[in-house]
Amino acid sequence: MALRIVIDVLLAVGAFFALVGVLGILRMPDTFCRMQASTCVNTMGVIGLTLGALLYAIFLKQDVGSAVKIGVIGLLILITNPIGAHSIAKGAYKAGIRPDAPMETDDLGRDSE
Amino acid sequence: MRKTTFPAVLTTFLVCAAFWLLLTWSVATEELIAGGVVSLLAALFAGRFFIHEKAGWFFNPAKFFVGLFYWICVFPIELIKANCSMAGLVLGGCKKVKPGIVKIPVDLKSDYGQAALANSITLTPGTITMEIAEEGEQTYYYVHWIKAESDGAEAGEAIKGRMEKWIRRFWQ
Repeated sequence: MALRIVIDVLLAVGAFFALVGVLGILRMPDTFCRMQASTCVNTMGVIGLTLGALLYAIFLKQDVGSAVKIGVIGLLILITNPIGAHSIAKGAYKAGIRPDAPMETDDLGRDSE
Repeated sequence: MRKTTFPAVLTTFLVCAAFWLLLTWSVATEELIAGGVVSLLAALFAGRFFIHEKAGWFFNPAKFFVGLFYWICVFPIELIKANCSMAGLVLGGCKKVKPGIVKIPVDLKSDYGQAALANSITLTPGTITMEIAEEGEQTYYYVHWIKAESDGAEAGEAIKGRMEKWIRRFWQ
């Protein structure tokens, strides 16, 4: 019973941060800030959901094979997500996308001139 | 192009074989033979990309446990703090964003260390590493930061927090 509560809390935390990330994507003012908000989805969202699923697979379903696969899915998302984020942000900047309101500081623009 | 060295192939082979065992979760002879062949092929092709420096660091238990402690205890705390502040920002209506790209100095020599720190910075909501520049001996990251309040080394302290110190302990 206590285990069920822990699993449900983990799933709820994951779903909450996924909701926050999606809300952020809709509400943020420009491209780069939207990317920042989307990071919420694939860190705390993924961690909460995979931890919950992992506990469920190990203790309630008692299936080691699917537990390992869930762990590998979570790890792979956490490893590959930042690499994609680097290249999307850099590509967007190189392609000339700038926010409408000028940024506070823009060291990259200053140094590449 | 890098050369394929024996320690690189051996380390890659061991990691691939461990993953195969985890995924199949059986010790039947056919499974083991198939896994060995696939791991060896993967190690021969990919070893030189996987291991750039000394191959033995992964099997040094002290460093291994420092790394494990970082990824299990230190990093998730930073992650939770950053996620909560991001949730407050989004639910408060995104009024307080001050986006900016800041240039921060980084004191890590190893390729793996720099990659790990850049990925840790990108994984915490609020900061994305955009570019790495080397000027002489010093390495700099260009980081897009959603609350760009300071500049230079001060911004570096605020962004990197405790992460750089821990990464330096096992990837000097």
